[in-house]
This record gives sequence, C-alpha cells and structure tokens, in this order.
Amino acid sequence: MSRRRRTGLIGLFLLLCIAAWVEISWGPVSIPIRQIGSQTWAYLHGSRDADAVVMGAIRWPRLCAAILVGAGLAVSGCVLQAVFRNSMADPGIIGVSSGGALGAVLAISLGLGAVSPWLPPLCAFALGLAAVLAVYRLGSIGGRTAVHSLLLSGVAVSSLCSAIVTLLLSLVPFQTMAQMMFWLMGGLDGITWVHVAVAGSAVLVGLVVFIAMAPALDIISIGEEQAEGVGVHLERVRRVAMLVSALVVGACVSISGVIGFVGLIVPHLLRLWFGAAHRVLIPVCALGGAVLLTLSDVIARMALSPVELNIGIVTSCLGAPFFLYLLRRQYARGAWG
Amino acid sequence: MLEAAGVSFRGILHDVTQTWPAGRLVGLVGPNGAGKSTLLRVLAGIWSPTSGEVRVSGLSVHQLSPRQRARHVSYLPQQLPDDIPFTVREFVEMGRYAHRPRIGALSRADRAAVDQALSRLELADLAHNPIKYLSGGQRQRAAIARCLAQESGVLLLDEPISNLDLHYQWEILQIVRGLASEGRLVVMAIHHLELAAAFCDELVLLRNGRVYQAGKPQAVLTPEAVEAVFGLSVQVFPDPHTGHLRLSWPETVDGAGSHPPREVEEVVPACAKRS
Repeated sequence: MSRRRRTGLIGLFLLLCIAAWVEISWGPVSIPIRQIGSQTWAYLHGSRDADAVVMGAIRWPRLCAAILVGAGLAVSGCVLQAVFRNSMADPGIIGVSSGGALGAVLAISLGLGAVSPWLPPLCAFALGLAAVLAVYRLGSIGGRTAVHSLLLSGVAVSSLCSAIVTLLLSLVPFQTMAQMMFWLMGGLDGITWVHVAVAGSAVLVGLVVFIAMAPALDIISIGEEQAEGVGVHLERVRRVAMLVSALVVGACVSISGVIGFVGLIVPHLLRLWFGAAHRVLIPVCALGGAVLLTLSDVIARMALSPVELNIGIVTSCLGAPFFLYLLRRQYARGAWG
Repeated sequence: MLEAAGVSFRGILHDVTQTWPAGRLVGLVGPNGAGKSTLLRVLAGIWSPTSGEVRVSGLSVHQLSPRQRARHVSYLPQQLPDDIPFTVREFVEMGRYAHRPRIGALSRADRAAVDQALSRLELADLAHNPIKYLSGGQRQRAAIARCLAQESGVLLLDEPISNLDLHYQWEILQIVRGLASEGRLVVMAIHHLELAAAFCDELVLLRNGRVYQAGKPQAVLTPEAVEAVFGLSVQVFPDPHTGHLRLSWPETVDGAGSHPPREVEEVVPACAKRS
C-alpha cells in the first residue's frame, strides 16, 4: 500500500473515532469519555440506571446505525457509479430511495403505522426493491440493457414516485405530514438494536459481494466493450450490482429514511485520494460514508439543540456546495477523476 | 483456428464463410458501414449471429460462457476511452480476468503473464504510469499487451492503427505481425489498404455485409475490386523499392499535387494558342 493511501486510511479512521466519541458522549445527558466503557458495561449487565440506558439503548445503536447507513449508501454509490460509467450516479438513480420514501409515506397515510411501527419500514423496503425492478425491466429493451435507457427509466420512475409522495403529503393532516417528513429527509432518532441488526446484515452482505466483484467493476468502469472483450459477463454483473445495491440501500432507507448526497459525494472524494481500483475503493468508501454520516448526525443533533434537524438536511447542506466546488475544480483541470 | 460458417447478423452481415488457420494475420478491409466492426464483434462472441456459427478450435463460440470464450479469443474495441484512471500495469492485469481466481488476488501465473506481456511490448518502465498520460502509440501498445496477457490463440483487433501517426502505425503493425508469426491468429479491421497489403497474409474485402473477395492481397486488391467496392478508379503497382502492393489514386481536382504540376503543362499551351 502506498504511503498516500496509508495516510488517508489513518486519517479517516481517526476522524471516525473522534466523530464516534462526540456522538456517544455529547447530548442532553453528557457522558464523559472515562465513563463510556463503564456505563456500557453496566448496561450489558442489566443496569437500568439512566446514564447506562442512554448509553446502551440510545447512543450506541444510533452510532452503529450512522456507521452502517453511511457505509451502505457510500458503497452502493461507488458500485453504481462504476456500473453506469457515470459519476453522477448515486443510490437515488435506480429509484430505490424515492420508491422507499413512497412505501413509507403510503403506509403512514393508510394508517398502517398505527397498526405496527414495523409496517412503514417494511413497506419502504418492499417498494424500494419494487422500484428498482421496475427500472430494470423498463430499461431492458430487446433482452439487452443499455446504460442510458436504465438511467432515463431510473429518473422517470423516481420522479413518478416523488410526485405521488407530494400528492399524499398535500392530502394528509399536518400531524401526519411531520411524521412523513422523517422519511423524506431522513433521521436516526428512535433507532433500536433490531434496526441495527437488519441494516447491519444487509450492509455486510453488500460489502462482501461488492468486494468480490471488484475486478469486474474496474473493467466495466472503463467501458462496456472493453469488459466484454476480456470476458466479463456484463448483464450478470450489472444485474447483481443493481439488486444488491437495492437491497443495501433499501435496508438503509427503511431504518433512516432518504439521506441524499452520501452515495454521490463519498466515492467521488475518495477516488481522488485513493485511486479508482475498487478493491481499495469499496472498503474505503464504507469507512468514509461512516465518517460523513456520523459527523452529519452530530451536527443534526447539535446545530439547533434541543431541536433535532433531519440528517438529510445536513448531508445535503454540507454536500451540495462541497460537491460543486469539487466539480468545478475538476473541470478546471480538464479531467474527470 | 477460427471458422465462420454462413454467419449472418440482423441484415448487417450476410452469409460470411471463412476459415483462418493459426499463424496468420488477416485484414478486414472495406468502406465504412461494410460490416467490419460488426463481423469482429460476432467473431468475438459478443453478438450472436442470427444464423450460422462461429467456431474457435472446434468449439462454438456462442455456447461458451464469457470467461471461457475470453480464454480462446481476445477482442480489442476500436476506441480506448482517454480518461482511464488506471496505471498501465493495472490495465494489463484486466486481461487476466478470464484466468484469475474468482475471489482474491492474482495468482503467480497471472502475474507472470502480465510481466511477460509488459516486457514484450516494452512497457515495463511505464508500468506504474497512469494510462491517461501516455501517448497514443504507447496507449495502443498497452491495449495490445492486455490482449497478450489474456493468452488466447485468437486476437481480434478493431482498427488498431486509426488515430495514430505514421510512425506509430508502422510500429503497431510490426508488433501485430510479430504476434501472428509466433503462431497466433490475428484478425484486424483496417482502413489503410497499402499498409494492409504490406503486412497481412490474407485480406477479406467486405461490401454491404458480404465478402466481396478474399485471399492474398494481390488477388484481392485489384483495380476492378477497388473500383467496385470503394467507387474509385485506381491503378495498382508494385512499389519500386520494396515490391509491396501500392495504389495510385485517380486524378485530383485541378490536378493538384501531381508532378510535374499540371498548371505548367496545360496553361502554357493554352496561352501559346491564343497568341
């Protein structure tokens, strides 16, 4: 590993440690760093002391969810950018985010949220996957799937879902609307260990599959014709990449709502530093996504404390200007990293 | 050995039947849209023929999986994107996709094949340079190194010398010729008729998706065939220095570029007549 990569890796890891520490110990109840270990230990041994419960039942699951969702979104974005050979691709582009949001909003407006708190996330997951399958079907013409037809049907299905979401929002009472906004702008409040387990297994499966696919992704990222020439099964790689990303992002959306920009900006930024080889880029993206989402969650909780912001607002406010800066800098150099 | 038996493809190719043994350099020539690139893609097994069959060493190409196929046939598309974010070595390693273990790093045999391909094309010193900073000729050499690392008996190259200057065109064709002489079968699409005639053992002249003529360059590039396929009346003659087949073009507008300059010959007598 080159020195540059090692420095970057250590930097990201340190950032994650700092962000995790802030996330764990700051808040309405502040827990000094020295007590983190002992309070966690106490919670695990059944202590129902207030500090121990805040630690074990609120802060730790929230931190884990931030890490997992950030990793899942960033890794999926990285893979989709390679498969679509398009640096503008992000998990939203295959329709899974807007499909997921529609599922949750639909479930809430039908009153399913009152039946069981698990129904909205389940609907989010199901409709997220359904949207991806629709995009894939619509994008395949005559047995072949062309990248541009996939991208365009992704855009079309996404905007259809968004339109229905807006329609539903404008029909429901104000109270329900606030509940729905959680799904549209994302948030990590109310995360439990069950949520973490669900997202964790999906993200883990995704990471393993994606890292195994790394050589094929490298080749596809330089062109479909090149990939076919050296024996990559183009259709299969693309199908697996899309379905597994849909699974990962669907699981993330179902626990945290739609969180934009993470899947777009993290791979972009890290490719500049770590190069384009996916065997390195994918694990590094997982780390970088975790850092970005943990930091964003800290800001979402602290910025207007005691009011908590939606985390999607933070990632977009941080992400959009930074992304524009990168974009202009890259164009000024006349190269796409 | 590569065999096309009655290959047709979606109204672009019609009943192409050819057999090429190993150790040959075959040039596909013909005007734009004649089906050269399409034929290469069908031969490579990427597109399935609507009728007919392509066989490589007796195996039907279209019944093989992409990985199996790539061990027999390498295919190099015409255009390499110019923004490739990989080093020469990483790029050549991509040629090992069909051989490498499905999971994990390259095997020792993979690395040896890559080293060999790099040194064969004199790229060892450039191995760690990014592809996008190479010259056009070096980039094409890297692309051929990738095909070589694939260790297949058949190489299909789509216009390997387009976009190169004369020096690099010559260099690449010498390399390709060498690969054929070592016992591989190389089939390439090529626009430059004289270079094709100089380097190839065999030419296949395509017109509207059909084989118009095939065989030794001298037998294929006759004035009649060039006139019929390209719509240009040319003369064919052996190069006085090398004996390679050469073409003399039809006359230019105003006789521009001819020697001695046409103006002198014709304008002077006209003036003389008037006085």
